[in-house]
Amino acid sequence: MNDGMTLRGGWNVEYNYAVGTTGKKFFDALIEKKIIAPKCSKCGLVMLPPRSFCERCFVPAEEWVEVGREGTIQAFTIVPVKFESLPEPPYAIAYVLLDGADTALVNFIRKVDLSDLGAAAKKLSIGKRVRVVFEKRRKGTINDFHYELIETGQARRQRSKK
Amino acid sequence: MSHRVAILGVGMTKIEGAKKDQKLDDMVFEASSKALADASVTREGIDSVVISGCDELDGRCISSMLLAMPAGAYLKDEIKVTDEGCYGVILAAMRLMTGLFDLSLVISWCKTSEAPVSDVMRMRWDPFYHRGFGMNHITSTALMAGVYKSQYGIPMDIPARVVVKNRKNGARNPNAHLQRPIKLSEVRSSPVVSWPLRALDCAPESDGACALVLASARKARELKRDPVWLAGFGWATDSYYLGGRDLSKLRSLGIAAGMAYGMARIKNPLKEIDIAEISDFSSYHELMVYEGLGFCRPGRAQDLIKEGLTDMEGVLPVNPSGGLLSSNPFTASGLFRVCEAYLQVKGNAENHQVQGVKRALAHGSSGFCAQGNAVFILSR
Ligand SMILES: [Zn+2]
Repeated sequence: MNDGMTLRGGWNVEYNYAVGTTGKKFFDALIEKKIIAPKCSKCGLVMLPPRSFCERCFVPAEEWVEVGREGTIQAFTIVPVKFESLPEPPYAIAYVLLDGADTALVNFIRKVDLSDLGAAAKKLSIGKRVRVVFEKRRKGTINDFHYELIETGQARRQRSKK
Repeated sequence: MSHRVAILGVGMTKIEGAKKDQKLDDMVFEASSKALADASVTREGIDSVVISGCDELDGRCISSMLLAMPAGAYLKDEIKVTDEGCYGVILAAMRLMTGLFDLSLVISWCKTSEAPVSDVMRMRWDPFYHRGFGMNHITSTALMAGVYKSQYGIPMDIPARVVVKNRKNGARNPNAHLQRPIKLSEVRSSPVVSWPLRALDCAPESDGACALVLASARKARELKRDPVWLAGFGWATDSYYLGGRDLSKLRSLGIAAGMAYGMARIKNPLKEIDIAEISDFSSYHELMVYEGLGFCRPGRAQDLIKEGLTDMEGVLPVNPSGGLLSSNPFTASGLFRVCEAYLQVKGNAENHQVQGVKRALAHGSSGFCAQGNAVFILSR
């Protein structure tokens, strides 16, 4: 916009975010194709993404459990338009409650035909079963895996401890 | 209650898509001057200033350094709330209730036209587990809308009717950003931006600033004003992690409303409140807010829309101003709701005035999927 009424300016700042020992343990396990989650010693909540404490009981969570590589869609959206700084459309994301976990974890859901939005939304409905698919080369980040639909799976409702 | 807080006046700039003729501080000066004039008080008389803005959207660090002056704080008390603008009312009111202050100016602003809004929203997610997954204010709200729609089987016409209602109201509000009423068919045929939300289901992005003058009961009496009282307020926050929340409901809103209703002695909000100005980030969200505020049972907000109970002519008109679906100066939108509620109780809302308003509700929220919620009851 060069109409004399605006001045272009910006900032580009880089950070070194500490992962913490809880995060490190989770990410190291991803490299080994495992999803592990801390469990609250008081209420037993199995938390993903991992946290070092239970925000409800307010006690440290030191025990870890391995959760399943399949789960149930709790929430999803399909994004067909380009938003500034967001991935190239179309993409689909889902919060999935992995078997054995009590809180859902977001990731991309891939290998779904997103060309027909209505049809894709039906395929991805809440309650559908998905599997975790690990990438071939893993770096110890949340992008080491994504979700894919288990096509034969019947939709089912699964209640978490909410 | 002995520590009552009064609202003496409000000031609002016109809400627009892009205010190029005003710098941030020009816009803030306009709103604060208008509020002081409306309250018939001077800057000298103000003893406390609470400001609220979003540094990342303002494109500057500690934006209060620039904006304290146009907010009237020259060599005075000034404190900033880095949250939705309406939280400034909470802080100011509590400070007045201590008896340490008597006359406060609360102000908030947002100039979305200058800012990379989607990028700023993405940056609100933690970098480890969320940030890379294409979630901003629209796509995260869509996740929630999808859960609500699925849980209660909401027909597509219901959210579309919310949009039509609010845009119709907005067309009567000369201060609104979008003033063209729209048809049901336009909402239904607008493109999907993040399933199930269509472009017209989502609030626009706007520029605007607004301010209120609050006074202690003692000061209001001394000035011999006929104020609007802040009869109740409440606020609460939910988990940051959406995967641990039941996205079909707004639990923190229920808690906030309970607190505000308790203070204002409201038992049946649908009957006892005359109008509500709520933060409708999306059409679906307005429905969820009805339920969070206890206007109906969970899943039954669709009945209120079907029966027209929240239309201008209904038992509880919601968003006579047009709400966020007509004007959305983002982090200032909640404070605009409080200003609009004030105008309704005062009888100064002109073309969008609802007759005989004695008690009004204002609602603001912040965070992804309305993590935090604040509720205000204004009354005669
Ligand atoms: Zn616990």
